[in-house]
Amino acid sequence: MKALKFLLLPYMAAVIAAAFLWPEPAQGFIGESSRIVFFHVPCAWTSTLAFLVAAAYSAAYLRTRNPWHDDVAAAAVRIGLLFGVLTLITGSLFANIMWGSWWNWDPRESSYLLLVFLYAAYLFLRSAVEDPDRRPRVAAAYALFAVVLMPFLTFVAPRITASLHPQTVINPQGKILMDTPTRAVFFGALAGFSGLFLWMLSIEARTRRLARTGPISRTGRTSP
Amino acid sequence: MSALSGAWAVCVKDATEELRRKVAIVSVFFFAATAVTLVSFAMVGALALPPADRPPLQAALLWIILFFAAATGLPRAFVAEEESGTGLALRKTIPAVVVLAGKTLFNFLLFLAMAAVTIPGFLILLDWKAGSAGAVAATLLAGGFGLAVVSTFLSALVARAGQRHVLFVLIAFPLLLPLLQAAIAATIEAAAGAFPSAPLKVLVAYDGAAACGAYMLAGVAWED
Amino acid sequence: MVSSEQPVPTTIAAENLSKSFSGRPLFSDLSFSASQGLVAVAGRNGSGKTTLLKILAGLLRPSSGRVRFETEAGAPDSPSGRRLAIGWAGPDLQLYGTLTGVENLRFFRRAAGRAGDDRELEGRLEAVGLGEAARRRVEEYSTGMKQRLRIAFATLFDPPALLLDEPMAGLDVDGREIVRRVVAAARERGPVLLASNDERDFERPDRRVDLPGTGPRA
Repeated sequence: MKALKFLLLPYMAAVIAAAFLWPEPAQGFIGESSRIVFFHVPCAWTSTLAFLVAAAYSAAYLRTRNPWHDDVAAAAVRIGLLFGVLTLITGSLFANIMWGSWWNWDPRESSYLLLVFLYAAYLFLRSAVEDPDRRPRVAAAYALFAVVLMPFLTFVAPRITASLHPQTVINPQGKILMDTPTRAVFFGALAGFSGLFLWMLSIEARTRRLARTGPISRTGRTSP
Repeated sequence: MSALSGAWAVCVKDATEELRRKVAIVSVFFFAATAVTLVSFAMVGALALPPADRPPLQAALLWIILFFAAATGLPRAFVAEEESGTGLALRKTIPAVVVLAGKTLFNFLLFLAMAAVTIPGFLILLDWKAGSAGAVAATLLAGGFGLAVVSTFLSALVARAGQRHVLFVLIAFPLLLPLLQAAIAATIEAAAGAFPSAPLKVLVAYDGAAACGAYMLAGVAWED
Repeated sequence: MVSSEQPVPTTIAAENLSKSFSGRPLFSDLSFSASQGLVAVAGRNGSGKTTLLKILAGLLRPSSGRVRFETEAGAPDSPSGRRLAIGWAGPDLQLYGTLTGVENLRFFRRAAGRAGDDRELEGRLEAVGLGEAARRRVEEYSTGMKQRLRIAFATLFDPPALLLDEPMAGLDVDGREIVRRVVAAARERGPVLLASNDERDFERPDRRVDLPGTGPRA
């Protein structure tokens, strides 16, 4: 993890620079707006990844009752919230350029809005359970229940109705419709954001563990 | 099977208590009646929306009213147990799954009672045309069941937390939105006289997933 | 079904039980075993008697350690098996106010998947001195009557093991005699754990569990 954080800074700097300088803007998009794909999609991916991590660690907590697993789950949700909000903001900027309005109630857009609500609800639930011994179980129950219902939110709804959203990377033809420079920067950004996520997750989870076990813990209160 | 008869016993007990105390029933009916009256005043009276434009709005409003009426009345199932202290006796004698199943059944019946008040209100005050009665009934049953399953499960989570009422709506909303969207779509089609097979399929699938999730997580949500 | 082994007596045992609430320890590394007979659970206020009994009853999880439970039938141990085989009553046990005494007992029987014969249930209420009040709503009961109902609840499934937390609280002379009779009968069948602040509640205990505790916080 130590090596990761030192590599991350120059790597991300390179990715960001490349995003603006290297590939040509894509066909069918207004101006330079296609460059948003290098930021918007990795944010969306990271946000979803966070959710999966939270669900996996919630399940692990229920099996092992190890508080560290709960720390990681809660940390993942918090970071997922951040990247979810970033996804919405970047998507909204793009929507304004392409279609002239900030929000269109597009199914894909709405599903991310809902994901953000879900993260916020999870964090609110945590803060509302006063008993610190019960809090991890209640949170885990909610997270896993949400996982069961999530397919309906993220997959069923957007695919039933027609969408304004541009073709996604995972498309029916199964091919990646990008030229080489774009592809390189795109996957580079994806890797970079994933690394960023792991690093932030590690910090947040360890902070929670300290709050739970360190000198502050005598009050019995940890952050939601 | 003793588990099924156990769940039925829980449902009957909740119904008996409710009929003797009438807390949930009264608040739910009052809410539904007020909401329908206000909506009717706004749409038909004040706004005088032309009849052709009304169906999508009516369908959405129907489910909004049902959702908030449910949020008012359904959580009582578990919250009342904690407030009166009877939760302990219940936990001692009966497995969590049986309690959850029984209360879900009770809440489903409560929902149907709510619908029985709200639908005539819509037919009369809002001049709603329910094209295919069978399709409308199917939508109410499928949507209501999912609503009952999710609401009952979440109320088990919030029963021992603070800020319960706000908390319940906040954590229920993201999970119920796919159900509400499908139910509204189905209602619009049903009111127009068609059989809404696509949204109904989504509803039934959602109901199944929610029931499985609630079944598997019942112990985590309700026991210690 | 003939078994050549000795029947296993009903045993409830604590193995290295510890419990902390929000990081504050209540008791730690508690171990003991109880078979047939009366176990007196004593300790000052706040020493964890109620918590210990709830853990043994399966209502609370210990922070560490476990509870072992064996019955004569030699049935495999499981939460559902323990649920009805261990009877429990304590000060925070509340029953349904809008239901009558009989309705309460009938509900718990049926919800547990067993048959509920009203006459038999009324008989049980008679046995704890609630014969007349059986068909009155529990919200109308006095403190002593509610306590008697708690005893009826604890013994509803004729459990081989019985856990009673402050069973004499709020009872008059007749009520106390009823509890003594219940304890005397139950201790012949299996373990009875009785927690109390009052030493006089313990009648010739076979064992004692004294919880150290530090008493109420200053």
